[in-house]
Amino acid sequence: MPNDKKSEPDKTGRPAVELVDVCKVFDTSATPPAYAVDHLSLKIASGEFFTFLGPSGCGKTTTLRMIAGFESPTAGKILLEGHDVSGLPAHMRNTNTVFQSYALFPHLSVEDNVAFGLAVKRVPRSERGDRVAAALDLVRMRHAAGRKPSELSGGQQQRIALARALVNEPSVLLLDEPFGALDLKLRREMQIEVKEMQRRLGITFIFVTHDQEEALTMSDRIAVMSTGVVRQIDDPVGIYERPTDRFTAGFIGDMNMLSATVLERQDGVVEVLAADTRLKLKTNAELPAGKDCTIAMRPEALTFMRDSADDAAFAGKVESAVYVGTDRLYNIRLQTGEAMTVRVRNSRADSVLRIGEKVSLFCPSSAIHLLSDQDKK
Amino acid sequence: MRNRRQNVITLLLLAPSLVMAILLLAIPLLVVIAYSFAGRDSYGGVVTGFTLESYVELFQPAYLPIFVNSLKIAAMSTAVCVLIGYPIAYFIAFRAGKHSGLLLALLLIPFWIDFMIRMSSWMVLMGRNGTINGALTGAGIIDEPIRMIGTYPAVMVGMLYAFLPTTVLPIYAALSGINRRLLEAADDLGAGPVEAFWRVTFPLSLPGVMAAMLFVFVPAMGVYAIPVLLGGGKSIILGNLIVQLFLDFRNIPLGAAVSVVMLVLSSVIIVFYMRMLRRLEEAHA
Ligand SMILES: Nc1ncnc2c1ncn2[C@@H]1O[C@H](COP(=O)(O)OP(=O)(O)O)[C@@H](O)[C@H]1O
Ligand SMILES: [Mg+2]
Repeated sequence: MPNDKKSEPDKTGRPAVELVDVCKVFDTSATPPAYAVDHLSLKIASGEFFTFLGPSGCGKTTTLRMIAGFESPTAGKILLEGHDVSGLPAHMRNTNTVFQSYALFPHLSVEDNVAFGLAVKRVPRSERGDRVAAALDLVRMRHAAGRKPSELSGGQQQRIALARALVNEPSVLLLDEPFGALDLKLRREMQIEVKEMQRRLGITFIFVTHDQEEALTMSDRIAVMSTGVVRQIDDPVGIYERPTDRFTAGFIGDMNMLSATVLERQDGVVEVLAADTRLKLKTNAELPAGKDCTIAMRPEALTFMRDSADDAAFAGKVESAVYVGTDRLYNIRLQTGEAMTVRVRNSRADSVLRIGEKVSLFCPSSAIHLLSDQDKK
Repeated sequence: MRNRRQNVITLLLLAPSLVMAILLLAIPLLVVIAYSFAGRDSYGGVVTGFTLESYVELFQPAYLPIFVNSLKIAAMSTAVCVLIGYPIAYFIAFRAGKHSGLLLALLLIPFWIDFMIRMSSWMVLMGRNGTINGALTGAGIIDEPIRMIGTYPAVMVGMLYAFLPTTVLPIYAALSGINRRLLEAADDLGAGPVEAFWRVTFPLSLPGVMAAMLFVFVPAMGVYAIPVLLGGGKSIILGNLIVQLFLDFRNIPLGAAVSVVMLVLSSVIIVFYMRMLRRLEEAHA
């Protein structure tokens, strides 16, 4: 097994993986071509836990399979530790994959499954035995060494699949929705365990999931994908708190979004009009006067007041209310017709609103996200 | 009550096929077994009774080579069929893509034509003045026609032709059932195509290969027409021994005894084989 290495992602050195303008079109005869992966460029640092997050069909698996070498890119380059591997088959790349379906060899024992990569590389038998034992220890499955995969539960098979990949000490480990088939409790356990394992081993993990919570809890950085395009790459805090893209804002957590128009721009401050309300917001984005954009606010960032005439507030009426234990959720219909959701702590004294009651919604300008509309999909 | 009634209904529904099976399979078999224990008068008539005469005669050294010969031909045919059938099955399962259905159909279509007609066509093809010799002499590749009919390779060609579909189908079924992710996993773990084949594809196709071998070996043991028509009937094997005993020598009890021994031999092989197959399948489950 790899020695325990210090875990700080090495963000200065050569990237573990680099994608340069990578495209994948499955049916090249179609016009226009349907891009499963559309001009993807990014760098993944050595030792990083990097996640591709996006809805089903957005191209995550295809991206991962191109890095592994199961699919070749229609255009673009893939570099592993600085070397162009675009033309190399999977068995000539120093990556290993944990498949969603586990793909354990049914005719081999657990031990032989884990030893497969070492046997193929003609690692001497004695060393092989030690490394297999260490890998099985790592996933706490040493006791099952002699069993057949069919005699194991899904979670146990998942562990064997991990051991089978990690025993080869790959420079990059690829995981495609590895916990997709596990029940929720086991899933949470495995998330913590795998994250901890990655921290200890210092191996670059590239992880694919459609589960935002999984992505947020495990990753160093997340690439949010939709329709073959990476919408935003940032650390979990950045993805959640500073979405720069309409898709990301809508995909991660709950978000109220309003169409807006830029009225005026001065020294990093823009004044926008949204739902008949003027707002002054700080931004670095390229937003000249007259341009359309979107403003986004989390339900918990909004507060309400009764009977306010402030013109920095959105006026509306309570349409429905939901009690969710610690909080209450209100759907507010704005005078201009848009719907907004507000989340209010029940501990607030006047948290209870009547249906039909008139309210004004406020959001601190620091919690309003200004998103450009250029890649609205 | 209800159960009893259901049993009766099941029995009634099964009755037509049961009657057929009894009439066409069980009774003839019993007749053959009964004949094998019967005696024989000097004119070739069957004398009903119980005697082990035929079996005693059968275990004379003279008959041993015939059994050995039959086993040899069956084993050789099995080897030839599997060696040639496996690559075909592999190609259809992995390389033919959307044409796989068509290829399987092409493999099976000739078998809608009567067996004897197809074997006669091979005689025409391989005859001294047959199509192949004609083409080869015509093209000036050979001066004298090659003798093909009556040779061992000709018998093997006939066997291959007869048993190829029964070889290819079970192997194809096993191969196409292999989860492609397993091959990707092998690739991912550093195995090139050849290594992945021997470590993953081949072991996983073994149940199909075993089934194919059984489907060739057992009928090949009793085959009659192919060695006679294409082999010139020179090497005596069980199939034509039985025919000779029944028709030429009119020794019906001895012919029946040979049949019974062959049946027992095949059954033993099948039972032994099925056990191995089951163990293999358990290992793969
Ligand atoms: N082998 C394939 N042949 C044709 N289309 C494919 C193939 N694999 C994936 N696709 C298409 O590419 C797109 C992206 O798929 P995929 O990468 O599997 O998405 P994800 O893993 O994000 O759910 C989808 O539209 C899918 O239908
Ligand atoms: Mg996928």
